Amino acid sequence: MFKKFGHFLRKRLLFVVFIGFILGVIVAFYSHKAVEATSTNQFCEVCHVHPHVFESWKLSPHYDTRSGIQVGCVECHLPPKGEGYMKEKIRLGIKDVYGFLFKDSADFNWEGKRTVEMAQHFTFQSSCVGCHTNLFPRNLSKEGMEAHLYYSMNEKDLLCLNCHIDVGHYDPNRVHSTNVNFGSGVAINQEVYTEPAVVSTHENFTETIPGSVVSFNMIAIPGGSFQMGSPDSEPMRSSDEGPVRTVNVSPFFMAEVEVTWNEFLVFYTQTAAEGRSTDTEGSRLSAEVDAITGPTPPYGQPDQNWGMGDRPAITMSYHAAETYCRWLSQVTGKTYRLPTEAEWEYAARGGTQTPYFFEGNPKDFTDGGFFRKRKTEIDNFVVYNANSLLRTQRPEKVDANPFGLKNMLGNAAEYVADWYAPDAYSMLQDGATDPKGPESGTERVVRGGYFRSDAANVRSAARDYTRTEAWLKSDPQMPKSIWWLSDCNYISFRVVCEFDDKTGN
Amino acid sequence: MSENNFSRRKFLTGAAAIGAVGAVGFNPLVSCSSGGGSATSGGSFKKLSDLAIPPLLDAAPDGKPLKAGVIGCGGRGTGAALNWLSAGPNVTITALGDVFQDRVNSCKARIKKDFNVDVPEENCFVGFDNYEKVIAADVDVVILCAPPVFRPDHFEAAVNARKHVFLEKPVAVDPTGIRKVMAASKIADGLGLKIVAGTQRRHQHEYIEIYKKVATGEIGEIISANAYWNQSKLWHRNPNADWSEMEYMIRDWVNWLWLSGDHIVEQHVHNIDVINWFTGTHPTKAVGFGSRHRRVTGDQYDNFSVDFVYDNGMHMHSMCRQINGCTNNVSEWIRGTKGQTNCANKIFDLQGNEIYAFQYPADAEGKPQRIDPYRQEHVDLITCIRQNIPVNEAEGIAISNMTAIMGRVSAYTGKEVTWDEMMNSDMKLGPTTYIMGDVGIMATATVPVPGEAPQG
Repeated sequence: MFKKFGHFLRKRLLFVVFIGFILGVIVAFYSHKAVEATSTNQFCEVCHVHPHVFESWKLSPHYDTRSGIQVGCVECHLPPKGEGYMKEKIRLGIKDVYGFLFKDSADFNWEGKRTVEMAQHFTFQSSCVGCHTNLFPRNLSKEGMEAHLYYSMNEKDLLCLNCHIDVGHYDPNRVHSTNVNFGSGVAINQEVYTEPAVVSTHENFTETIPGSVVSFNMIAIPGGSFQMGSPDSEPMRSSDEGPVRTVNVSPFFMAEVEVTWNEFLVFYTQTAAEGRSTDTEGSRLSAEVDAITGPTPPYGQPDQNWGMGDRPAITMSYHAAETYCRWLSQVTGKTYRLPTEAEWEYAARGGTQTPYFFEGNPKDFTDGGFFRKRKTEIDNFVVYNANSLLRTQRPEKVDANPFGLKNMLGNAAEYVADWYAPDAYSMLQDGATDPKGPESGTERVVRGGYFRSDAANVRSAARDYTRTEAWLKSDPQMPKSIWWLSDCNYISFRVVCEFDDKTGN
Repeated sequence: MSENNFSRRKFLTGAAAIGAVGAVGFNPLVSCSSGGGSATSGGSFKKLSDLAIPPLLDAAPDGKPLKAGVIGCGGRGTGAALNWLSAGPNVTITALGDVFQDRVNSCKARIKKDFNVDVPEENCFVGFDNYEKVIAADVDVVILCAPPVFRPDHFEAAVNARKHVFLEKPVAVDPTGIRKVMAASKIADGLGLKIVAGTQRRHQHEYIEIYKKVATGEIGEIISANAYWNQSKLWHRNPNADWSEMEYMIRDWVNWLWLSGDHIVEQHVHNIDVINWFTGTHPTKAVGFGSRHRRVTGDQYDNFSVDFVYDNGMHMHSMCRQINGCTNNVSEWIRGTKGQTNCANKIFDLQGNEIYAFQYPADAEGKPQRIDPYRQEHVDLITCIRQNIPVNEAEGIAISNMTAIMGRVSAYTGKEVTWDEMMNSDMKLGPTTYIMGDVGIMATATVPVPGEAPQG
């Protein structure tokens, strides 16, 4: 039987090849049709049920273009054909089908997906420049020319999305210009403090910022000794956290929470007037020469439109954080400053020597994906990538550590005063008292994880550092701001207040 | 940091790909830094066929008539106009513009005398807005020769009006102007305009022959360079009771920082450009000295000495001077791992023995047939327009111009100045608006003194 069929095939070889060819053409034709059919806006709309996606697209310049060409979903959300189109189509298709079948779209963090950090994973740079081949058309504005010139010199570090995140989906709250109204319209109608808090003993107190309605809690941190850094045996540690050193820390006060927008905006509105224009320079009275010059208006929206109030203030430069401390010292008559790295870790540990100030192994808290559920005990204490909705959260979301401090390990990262060196602890004397870190350096230490950190980076010993150049990469101003960071939306800081146990203040 | 370096090179490479003539395609520094400074890698050298070399015809080919307008009718503008008219058949000049009537008149007369070309009176424009009128006067090409502070605006307007450009150096006096030229250069690329810059060494046969040899590896990897423009005093004008402050400064422009960029920019940029051309990149930082000993008018220095440093640690020393009675030298020198060159016409081995000298072919009388490079620039421009050969030298000269500005700022301040600082600087020199009257610059102009006075 088979032999006969084989014989038939051999005899009619040409015929068989012809049939195969026809079948091949048909399959190719229909798979092409299928690819086309599954790439229409209408097809996307079937599953992408979140209504604002289509609403915001219809309000965007990609829907209503001057030339009448309408830019559809896949033209931005897939790479150009021949540059990984099919691969991404399959990857995103599987992801979308999985999401459609097993997830509730109401739980998706749509706002988070609209940030540059997220959007770049499903909005393709190659597609932007695939259509926008000439970045220097004749009618380009002066600002556009400067910006595109800068882009052409830094293509590797920049995305079109850095400046044009809202071209496909309109965002009414987005600001891409100098934001001179930032911080205005803060509610009044409350008691305005006239005096700072009076402190004579080493106990918790509430600081009141004179001339404002804002107060904040300072926690008395007892002096003591602790093991700084993490042992080799600690899971998910980095080598810059060792070797472990015994360090003594004198008593001090530390803010219960990261500097809030309420607090930072008092500084901004009280000092910024002088920074806003140079023409006040000449008219300043000699008595005011010591006045502190505060931030110039930010470019864009520093709070990322996540809200202000008691959320941590973010995106200020190290210089701005330091200037804030100088200003706060001046208006309160106390000595406020950034914590040293040793003070920070001592306070964060709150007397513990474990990876966190609560029980648990870092590996258990890492988001394990589909097959392994993370443990959620950490959610009471830490805002990090698994629970943050990819933005800062208000302090009330978490409980304090044993010292009474909140959000040391997560929410926003925090500047500390020390210069960063990967081998800082090797150079540190065992048993040192109040060490201040390396004498010089190029980047500052950053401590505490933030809303996008993995469980590994919200451990008490985890260290990070500033990226001076990268954090200003997309600032279009010339010169770049010394007050605000264009490319770091997770940095904040926390103040400490010095305590003199001899004088009691 | 290394990422930055990468993108900077990419920027330059982009310039090379776009500008066929004179743009740089050869980058020894890439392999120097990536290959750990290996002297023998040789991987960075280009094939002769990959080099961007101007057409270099003796005269431009014939074609449809090309009408040029001259913006800036002083000595160089008039010279460039004559070079243009001598470069080939069927080219003419139909519009002239300058801030001064006498300059327009003298240029018009000279063109008439030498080439019997009559520029119609209605196409002769005087005033700060002359460039807009020249550009609007139905010309195909504009010849930009006003003092450099005006060049960015002139170039931008010409490009936006889709004119081919002869772009005299320098192209700007400050970083704000440089960026405007760079952006306009990108627009010109998009429009397919032909731009030839007044860095004539890039159109000079003997320089180009040496460039070919260096680019293809004949002296090995480049390890150091020198650039010199030491000459006698240039020229100056004394104030005249009939002239306003603005008129006086413009007539004395090579002595005023805001008009010329100082002589390291105005004149020495030629030699710095040769080093940038041959190395295919530009320095990333500079520390310079400079001072003013004998300049008569204005607010500029009359000598500079600058140590330019490249990404890979290579140094270029640059010096320039405009003082009488000193040793003069206008030249370049490049040392490679296998040989060295004066860039202009000779190659030497490492011991200093001459191993190559460029010879022009002899004419019937046995004299070398040397072609004037100032004329060659225009021959190349017309050839590229008529044969549709891509050429855009604007970005190349802008980069060399910025290098010179970086050296100047370092000498003025006494501080190290980096390329990135310059590219991000908002420095803009001169008055914000141009009026022919008193502008209050001369009363307050000072010559920069670097550093700080000692205390006590």
